[in-house]
Amino acid sequence: MAVKDLKILLRDRTSAFFIVGFPILMGLFFGSIMGGGGGGGSSAMKIAIVDLDQTESSAKFVSLLKENANLELLTSDIESSKTMVRKGSAAGLIAISPGFAEKAEVFWGEPPEIQMGVDPSRNAEAAMLRGYVMEALGAMIGEGFGNPDKFRKVVKRERDRVTSSGDLNLVERGLYMGLLDSVDSMMDSVDDLQNQENATETQQQDNSAGGFQFANIQDIDVTREIDPKSRAGQLQKIRSSWDISFPQAMLWGILGCVAGFSASIARENTVGTMTRLQAAPMPRFAILAGKALACFITVVFVIAMMTLLGYFLGMRPGNYAFLVIASLAVAMCFVGIMMSLSVVGKTEQSVSGIGWMANMVMAMFGGCMIPVMFMPNWIRSVSVLSPVRWAITAIEGAIWRDFSFNEMLLPCGILILFGLGGLVIGTTILSKRLK
Amino acid sequence: MLEAKQLVKRYGTLTAVDGLSASIQAGETFGLLGPNGAGKSTTIGMLVGLIEPDDGEISVGSGADQGPPNLEAVRKNIGIAPQSLSLYETLTARENLDFFGRLYNLSGNHLKQRIDWAIEFSGLEDRQNDRVETFSGGMKRRLNIAVAMIHEPTILLLDEPTVGVDPQSRNHIFERIEALQKQGLTILYTTHYMEEAQRLCDRVAIMDQGKILACNSVDGLLAKHGGQAVVTATFNADSKRDGLGIVIGENQIRFEDHDPIQKLQELRNDGYIFDSIQIANSDLEAVFLKLTGRELRDQSSS
Repeated sequence: MAVKDLKILLRDRTSAFFIVGFPILMGLFFGSIMGGGGGGGSSAMKIAIVDLDQTESSAKFVSLLKENANLELLTSDIESSKTMVRKGSAAGLIAISPGFAEKAEVFWGEPPEIQMGVDPSRNAEAAMLRGYVMEALGAMIGEGFGNPDKFRKVVKRERDRVTSSGDLNLVERGLYMGLLDSVDSMMDSVDDLQNQENATETQQQDNSAGGFQFANIQDIDVTREIDPKSRAGQLQKIRSSWDISFPQAMLWGILGCVAGFSASIARENTVGTMTRLQAAPMPRFAILAGKALACFITVVFVIAMMTLLGYFLGMRPGNYAFLVIASLAVAMCFVGIMMSLSVVGKTEQSVSGIGWMANMVMAMFGGCMIPVMFMPNWIRSVSVLSPVRWAITAIEGAIWRDFSFNEMLLPCGILILFGLGGLVIGTTILSKRLK
Repeated sequence: MLEAKQLVKRYGTLTAVDGLSASIQAGETFGLLGPNGAGKSTTIGMLVGLIEPDDGEISVGSGADQGPPNLEAVRKNIGIAPQSLSLYETLTARENLDFFGRLYNLSGNHLKQRIDWAIEFSGLEDRQNDRVETFSGGMKRRLNIAVAMIHEPTILLLDEPTVGVDPQSRNHIFERIEALQKQGLTILYTTHYMEEAQRLCDRVAIMDQGKILACNSVDGLLAKHGGQAVVTATFNADSKRDGLGIVIGENQIRFEDHDPIQKLQELRNDGYIFDSIQIANSDLEAVFLKLTGRELRDQSSS
């Protein structure tokens, strides 16, 4: 029975499209407009910048950061910048510590200190920002090498500091003076090279070469203050936009499956094949069980197919075991609903029409079109009556909401209750009609 | 093989079947002849256990498998070709046969043999792997009967098996049914086409408004309820013309007689010579007209 129904379903291109093709299109469409289409768009990362050094070098560093098209700098003070990150209006902050210039202009001794703060939930941005800071400092030092006169002034200032320092013994002073003489000599060579080739090209800087550090980056704790139960708190758990769009899309496929199978029961009656099924030497419940099994398998298939597709696109279910549990509960729920809808009319057309209308209402209030968390409060209250809402909650609980087992029990339990109710209503009326 | 006693089925205030009794012997082809709405399909439904009668008893089968049709052991010996084409349009002929065969627990090589037989029976060898939706009405009707026969039932119920098919396909269906008759199959055949009943049925029950009005062999029904044959003859120029019944015009006579051949022979011996003779025998249409006062088929029906 079930194999026959699955075969018929696959042969009906319209039904097959609504069960397989339509949810994929919905998932991809909504996933893309939510920013999952690879890279999240072209907008630059907003970074609050605080210049506590206020020197020519720190200004130069800021200007180099501004040249980076991937960053949008928002000049601020240290407290305001922290608030900006906490409120989410900036992805992170960079504070240039006092004394930056002295340390940045020479490439020996302590590296210049830069404070950086990024919301811990945005680790990817933090790593990128760290790279951009290193890149700007590297460019700054490279420019220093390319300007021997400026660098000689720095060497002269350092020579004076070594000469006047009382902390150095004779040997140490000799070593530092030797080093500074070497730098002077190197600058002469740079002059000669520039004169000979009449070129201004400078060598590329390698941020990680030989373990050399351009900056001493100090992390600032600016974790966003978000209530984990709030909408923002929930959204914080989302790993990819497919996490939202694919559970919704799964439900579209499941609703297509419900509509198709409920209409197929009515079709069996109108076409007359039900007469043959009833005349066969098998109990009546076997006829209905065959339909239910075919619907159950199709629902589970839709969830599995969409999960697989989502996986390839970057969706990573948090708990596969819970996803299996959710799938079984969802399948049971919608088999029951299918059975109920199959008796709302006596012809295929009436069942199909009423079925889709019921499906659309369940979908609208259940969050198939717009996630429930973005809906007005009164709709969120009404949505508890929609099995679609609980189905999405159960699937999302397994995919990205990080539900515990106890948290999974509520949506799955409600789904099973919906399913049992639908099965009882549907099979009772169908059995009476078959008599 | 099949016995129904005082069957009654009501739908609200409408009594679809009203005290119907019938007995069908093994190997017999029994016809239920009646107009649309006479209660034939409801009767079939009760005989296969699809519809529960409000009153009465049904016994189907023979030996250990005899009993009411709601028993699975009894049902496995019944084949039914419903009036509506009970086939899955998006499946092929073979797939339909395979599915319905499995419902009767056929499998493996036996199932394959039965499918091959059914394909040949329905004359669909060249189209066996095509979807049913691409078939003509006649092909679907043949397949509808073949599906009913897939599990080798001992009694076959054919509910208006030729509705909506062209004369050529109808003849093909008749030949198939006659082949089944030769195999000794018991057949219950409902129709509102009298020529089908006359050609195929050993006995015919005339049914109207849920009741059986008369039940006998075709000849028996004609003899009892059909009236006399009507003879129309044209005189030869040299023929004697006096002393006969109704004379139509100058050269024709018309008379009624139970045995028109014998009567014509007697007339010839008396010197009456005819150039042409037309004999209109009584038929089941006339029987139905006499029993109900109405024609068997509506003016609008085919």
